[in-house]
Amino acid sequence: MSAQPAVLEVDDVVKVYRGGMRANDGISLEVAAGEVFGMLGHNGAGKTTLLNQVVGIARPTSGRIHIEGHDAVADPEMARQVCSMQPQAQAPLEGVAPAEAIELMARIRGASRARARRRTAELVEGLDIGAWATTKGERLSGGVQRLTAFAMAVAEPGRLVMLDEPTNDVDPVRRRLLWAQVRELAQAGCAVVLVTHNVLEAERAVDRLVILDEGRVIAHGSPAQLRGEHAGQLRVEAETVSPEVARDVARGAVGGRPATVAGRRVIVSIPVEDSAGALAWAAREQQEGRIESFSFAPVSLEDIYVRLVGPDPDTEEVDDAPVEP
Amino acid sequence: MRRWSRSFGLLLKWNLLRVRTELPMFAAVQTLIAAGIVLGFSLIIPSIDAEAALYLTTGAMTISLITVGMVVAPQIVAHRKAQGLLDYQRSMPVPRLAMLAADAVVWIVAALPGLVVVLGVAALRFDLAFAMSPLLVPAIVLVSAGAAAIGYGIAYAAKPALVGLYTNLVLIVALMFSPVNYPADRLPDWAAAVHAWLPFQYMAQAIRETIDVPAGGIPVLPFVVLAGWAAVGLAVTSRVMTRRV
Ligand SMILES: Nc1ncnc2c1ncn2[C@@H]1O[C@H](COP(=O)(O)OP(=O)(O)OP(=O)(O)O)[C@@H](O)[C@H]1O
Ligand SMILES: [Mg+2]
Repeated sequence: MSAQPAVLEVDDVVKVYRGGMRANDGISLEVAAGEVFGMLGHNGAGKTTLLNQVVGIARPTSGRIHIEGHDAVADPEMARQVCSMQPQAQAPLEGVAPAEAIELMARIRGASRARARRRTAELVEGLDIGAWATTKGERLSGGVQRLTAFAMAVAEPGRLVMLDEPTNDVDPVRRRLLWAQVRELAQAGCAVVLVTHNVLEAERAVDRLVILDEGRVIAHGSPAQLRGEHAGQLRVEAETVSPEVARDVARGAVGGRPATVAGRRVIVSIPVEDSAGALAWAAREQQEGRIESFSFAPVSLEDIYVRLVGPDPDTEEVDDAPVEP
Repeated sequence: MRRWSRSFGLLLKWNLLRVRTELPMFAAVQTLIAAGIVLGFSLIIPSIDAEAALYLTTGAMTISLITVGMVVAPQIVAHRKAQGLLDYQRSMPVPRLAMLAADAVVWIVAALPGLVVVLGVAALRFDLAFAMSPLLVPAIVLVSAGAAAIGYGIAYAAKPALVGLYTNLVLIVALMFSPVNYPADRLPDWAAAVHAWLPFQYMAQAIRETIDVPAGGIPVLPFVVLAGWAAVGLAVTSRVMTRRV
């Protein structure tokens, strides 16, 4: 745990909506200043619900939420002052251009005119949306609207910044620009909560994360911690010529390590130190014409994520069961 | 209070930016409608005496403000609700009522030129001379605020699909079946009794009796009733807006 005091403290929060939906089921977490904190989870896992309770749009059924030590449930006005949020819903940009909206939002959050101007220019430049800076909202593409909403939230950031799927609809190049801005926020001392479905990018963008499943935290830690025992491992994936060959290849894979077969694919986890041997094995199999192609990659957070919240392997269609050697 | 006025000012600026292209059109149409009510009704009723003319003129002004507050404003809220923009607004660090006021003020101000034109048209058409009181200004503010508060109250409380229905109803009741364009004694007793509780006749009276002050002076009752209605509307609205799901 980091030495910084927590900016956001969520303690055993339960949210049951009218109608009985248990959207949050005992969530606890802490986000410190200077930290980018990821929140992952399937659709309907309760991510937006949790953010809405922090800014007082929803009220927890039970549990406590504190922002910089102040009770956010008792004082939602305070919460909205301290926390800038980019909601999952699109921002109301009808009739206003991105540059105008960003500047106004910065001023509403308390920035002086000069500072609001400067930050607007920085963000328009930093997110590369200059070409649309003066285009009215209704004529903007979805991605530029999303980037504008992001800029509105962070132009004059509070001590806590919460971003609900900020990279939706955004192209890969601008997504990187956005992650760079998020990193800068953290370096400036903000606590950043980041909801995203993009596990691969989250892995690089966040310091710590939780994975939510049906309103509960099922994993908690840094990306490296979550990879855990898999951290020093490589994932070797080989595409064989046929499912029969795949089973055969799997039996002798990298000196008899347990392998997983999915159709024609064979997947083996190996320690990084063994990569030379594994490479020799794969090259030999390829020469013998049993493997068409192969790849080596670190075990990714996405592998872990899918393993944790993905469909139950027993009921899965794909034949993903380990083969006895 | 400083935060309130700062938020209000910035939100107002935002709204002005948002509607800058529609605003002149809105003001023009609003003026045409108000002038149309004066001229149209004077065709329906051929011989108009000074009293009827005063009712028509001030009635047209009242209808104009009612339209803005109880029809236009709620429709905008309903539109936003349908687009899912309310949650965005709810997450903004601004006082709720500043947000409402900034919304309403734009449209009310856009309706003001129409009011002046109506007075001019009526003065020409009917040769009216008015004994105007400076209390007309607070009367206009109160009528607008009351209308907008009630309009918002219903728009925030009702389903968006029903808001269109309700605004049509308000318009017809206000235009045809309220003692706005004519004195209350033309209504059947039961209707007059109902209107004693509704805001319409008090809105009309506040405008009428500050434009042409009656011999007995300006009565207090309409102002009190309107303030009451405005308070109820604001209470409902702020309750709905700050309610947490
Ligand atoms: N206002 C509401 N009233 C009732 N149920 C709700 C409400 N808002 C959300 N829910 C339900 O609560 C659950 C969690 O919703 P939430 O929006 O928090 O999910 P999420 O993790 O943000 O999902 P997504 O990734 O799709 O945005 C869902 O089952 C949803 O249907
Ligand atoms: Mg969500």
